[in-house]
Amino acid sequence: MAALSLRLPRSPTEDSPVARAFAFGGFAVATLAIALYGVDPVALVALPLVAWGHWVSYRRRRLPRGFLRQLLLSGLVFACVAYFLLDSTTAVFGGQLPQAHFAIMLLGVTSFDLKTRRNCYSSLWISLAILYLAAVYAWDYWFWLFAAAWILCLAGMWAASHLRGWEAGFRFPRGAVALTLAGSLVAGSACFALLPEPAAPPGGPLVISLPGSAAFKGELENPALPLVEFGTGPAGANGSIDLRYRGRLGAGVVMYVRTGAPAYWRGLVFDTYRDGAWTASRRETRNLPPYVRPGFLPAPEAPNLGTFLQVFRVTRRLPGVVLAAAPLQSAYVPVSELRLDEYGTLHSPEPFRPGQTYSVVSYLPDLSPRRLSEPSAEPDARDPLDLDAATLSDAARRLAREATAGAANRYQAVAALTDFLQSRYRYSLELGRVPAGRDPVDWFLFDVRIGYCEQFATAETLLLRSLGIPARLATGYSTGDYDPVLNQAVVRERDAHAWVEAYFPGRGWVPVDPSPGFPALAAASFPNRWAAAGLARVIPHLELAAPTAVLGTLGWLAFGPGLVAALVALGLALAGVLALRWPRGSARPAPGEGELMGLYDRLQRRLRRRRAPPETPLEYSLSVDAGAWAGLLGEVTDAVNRGAYGGRWPDRRQVTVWRRRLS
Amino acid sequence: MKLTPRVFGALVLATVVFFYGTTSQVAWLFLLGYSLYALVAAAFLYALWNSRGVRARLAFIGADPGPHSPLDALPEAWLRTAPRPRPVFEGDRVRLALELRSLGRARGPARWSGWVAGKEVSAAAGLVPAAGWRVERGVGPVRRGGVASEGWRLEAGDPLGMFRVETRFEPAAVTLALPRFATLSLRPRVRELEASLAAPRAGAGNELFGVREYRLGDPLRRIHWRSSARRGELVVREYEPPGQQLLALLLDPDPPSPEVADQIARLAASEAWDCLRAGGRVLAWAPGLEPTTPAEARSLWAILEWLARYPALEPADTDPPPSAEAVALLGSAQAGVLEALAAAGRRGAEARAWLIGFQADVGVPARSVELAWPL
Repeated sequence: MAALSLRLPRSPTEDSPVARAFAFGGFAVATLAIALYGVDPVALVALPLVAWGHWVSYRRRRLPRGFLRQLLLSGLVFACVAYFLLDSTTAVFGGQLPQAHFAIMLLGVTSFDLKTRRNCYSSLWISLAILYLAAVYAWDYWFWLFAAAWILCLAGMWAASHLRGWEAGFRFPRGAVALTLAGSLVAGSACFALLPEPAAPPGGPLVISLPGSAAFKGELENPALPLVEFGTGPAGANGSIDLRYRGRLGAGVVMYVRTGAPAYWRGLVFDTYRDGAWTASRRETRNLPPYVRPGFLPAPEAPNLGTFLQVFRVTRRLPGVVLAAAPLQSAYVPVSELRLDEYGTLHSPEPFRPGQTYSVVSYLPDLSPRRLSEPSAEPDARDPLDLDAATLSDAARRLAREATAGAANRYQAVAALTDFLQSRYRYSLELGRVPAGRDPVDWFLFDVRIGYCEQFATAETLLLRSLGIPARLATGYSTGDYDPVLNQAVVRERDAHAWVEAYFPGRGWVPVDPSPGFPALAAASFPNRWAAAGLARVIPHLELAAPTAVLGTLGWLAFGPGLVAALVALGLALAGVLALRWPRGSARPAPGEGELMGLYDRLQRRLRRRRAPPETPLEYSLSVDAGAWAGLLGEVTDAVNRGAYGGRWPDRRQVTVWRRRLS
Repeated sequence: MKLTPRVFGALVLATVVFFYGTTSQVAWLFLLGYSLYALVAAAFLYALWNSRGVRARLAFIGADPGPHSPLDALPEAWLRTAPRPRPVFEGDRVRLALELRSLGRARGPARWSGWVAGKEVSAAAGLVPAAGWRVERGVGPVRRGGVASEGWRLEAGDPLGMFRVETRFEPAAVTLALPRFATLSLRPRVRELEASLAAPRAGAGNELFGVREYRLGDPLRRIHWRSSARRGELVVREYEPPGQQLLALLLDPDPPSPEVADQIARLAASEAWDCLRAGGRVLAWAPGLEPTTPAEARSLWAILEWLARYPALEPADTDPPPSAEAVALLGSAQAGVLEALAAAGRRGAEARAWLIGFQADVGVPARSVELAWPL
């Protein structure tokens, strides 16, 4: 048996400077994108270096690779790896996008050794990886330009290397090529906008950078989220929320979240309410590695609709609390270790610094009203802490009973109470101070009847507890500005939020939001991955929610309308291309060269012999055995000779007559 | 329509990008993936459109004379009667024009390639203007005989190199490379006769042309007694114009090698050149092959073209032509030629032979030569 050769075929030396220019162009596009969206202008320093490298590679492409030169380049590559390891783990260079920097530096080193076509392609694939990293961080639609530019660079490199292989100059019919490229970009954009985006179960959290080296020192130190202003500052270490205080939250961006579904980014959970302040009573934690695999985290109680990936890019200093949609399946945080508290929240040993990225895979529990209304044989949560409403006044308890009168099950009771608060109370951040000696909850429920998320959440938690429904307070951030086209949420300071988690036997802790203007229940299904719905939002007064919702329920059948549209567009494009073959306009007096030569081609095919290159039409007509077509061949040959050598092309009608004779 | 590996590479890249989009929630990857798929589809449509409108043509435009080319020796009057614009001799470098045309508007890219005289010739253009595109290529030095073009194909596709439509063409002859020749200075000068009896015309052999002095061997019945009495010497009637002696070239039908065949053709062409230049006629014959016709006996070009195709001629069974002079050109002791040579000698013709690459006693004056040219 012959041995199987595993060697790749030899790649030719890339002699085309144009192809190399396009390879550099792809890198430039990707670097500009990462510099812009990664907020990393330092990356631009690589552009002149890589340009120089390409120039040197082109000049030296025919020279053999020297040993010392290869040794130097290998050393530089290892230096790039060392940089990546150092910056990822210790942030010695700032820890900003170490992966992207590694790719850029690697490209910078290898740009001096781009000898073959395969080397140039490798350079282009590395630039695609850089572009991918930029796409992770891209927060607006302008990124489309970078994607289109990179595709044009790829097409240019293909074209240049192809023509170089043919030993032809890099020249094209501009109109046709421009139409082709533009058409492909438009068609790709149309498919992107009109076709649903399929979502496969994520393989796991994204590993953007390596774990750091900082470790936990003793107890958890959880600076609370800056929802309120403490005496020690916004990032106080008490781990509690005091309803008497409120921080000023602006529109600054806190983080960007690339997510497969809009959700609340849950942080700390509190279960003990005393004297107007919430605290977390459960202190036990469990250490976990930075890459938390499925199985390391407790399985959720509720049946799930699937999992979705979230990638968080922190843009400012945040407490070391891993914000994510609950419940978690797996996570990767670039720190040395993690800790899991009893509420299912992961903690990092140090605050998150700007530019740091972590990713989480979460379950999307099935929390539809039908599911929540179903009775369950699972035992109810009976931890006294989750039922403690001792501080609630009698008036508030009566209010709870009145609001939920007639509720047949827990879900109806929760829904009724939530609806009661949302409809009877007003949301406002402009809130005065709680009078001294007045219970904040009573002050909210009976005095001012306005409040913000903490008032609503606190009130509902305590009211639910008074009804015997276990509940607790969850804090974090609401979804933020979610864009279904980009699968991205922009989370700002003002999105800091508090909500309720109510326990349902067999379903676990269900998030409920009593604040007006927020959906009462979390999303019960994955969003319609229909980019058109998101794009339609930019068109005023255009509502596509209902049609897109219907299409979203069709599953794979939802591709149908889009595919039909794509086929129609393709058919129109083909018709347009074919129409270019024939002259336009009926007023043209003569058929011209095209029709006669088309007929001449058909005749040759009919005679089963094409005219050889040096044969004149007359020589061909004399040498071919035309049989029954001899007469027609003679006439057509005369017409071809008159047209080709005398410029006198026959009338269209005459060509039609000949064509009919041939048919 | 042929798919190149680049199509599969593009589709794999698009699929990988698409897959990463489904698992990473980075929506831009879907845009990249769809755009790559669309690029492949657009390339297909472009290749279809491009291939339908590109035409190719190969034209012979001239030749550059090679060393020892007889072109310089040919007078202008002779060149004007050449059947082709410029005769091509063996050893010349043929110039070809590779043309691409576009029906309607500009198209491209396209590649036109094939083999001429055993050498690959190609030309490609990224842009084929509506007015046409042309490039010249040189092939050579060419060997004696037909300069064939074969394996020609026109490739047209998309600019990215993903799809390609290939149209193949039948083999054909580009031109005919004639054998080289040079004067051998063996022909006797023909003396001129009296003009009073001269009636110069090309005749069938029984028209009185003139008289000349008697030579030993002339039939007695041709003695013109009246002129002889007037002159005081014997003179005979001449039934052909002066110098219209017929030279028969008897060629070896089966030369042992192409080089021997080339040398035979050169020597035969040289003999014919000397005869025709002196006003004679030439017939070429080889046993079992189609000979030249008497109508072509005064045409240098017809004889050269016959010699260019020698020995790949149509088979025919004909007798050797009667002539006043017979020259055999042999690559071996070919019986048929030797017999024809002997018969010519018996009829009174002046017989001799050229032996190429061998020596033998053929019964007539013979000269043995090798393959070098000029001799």
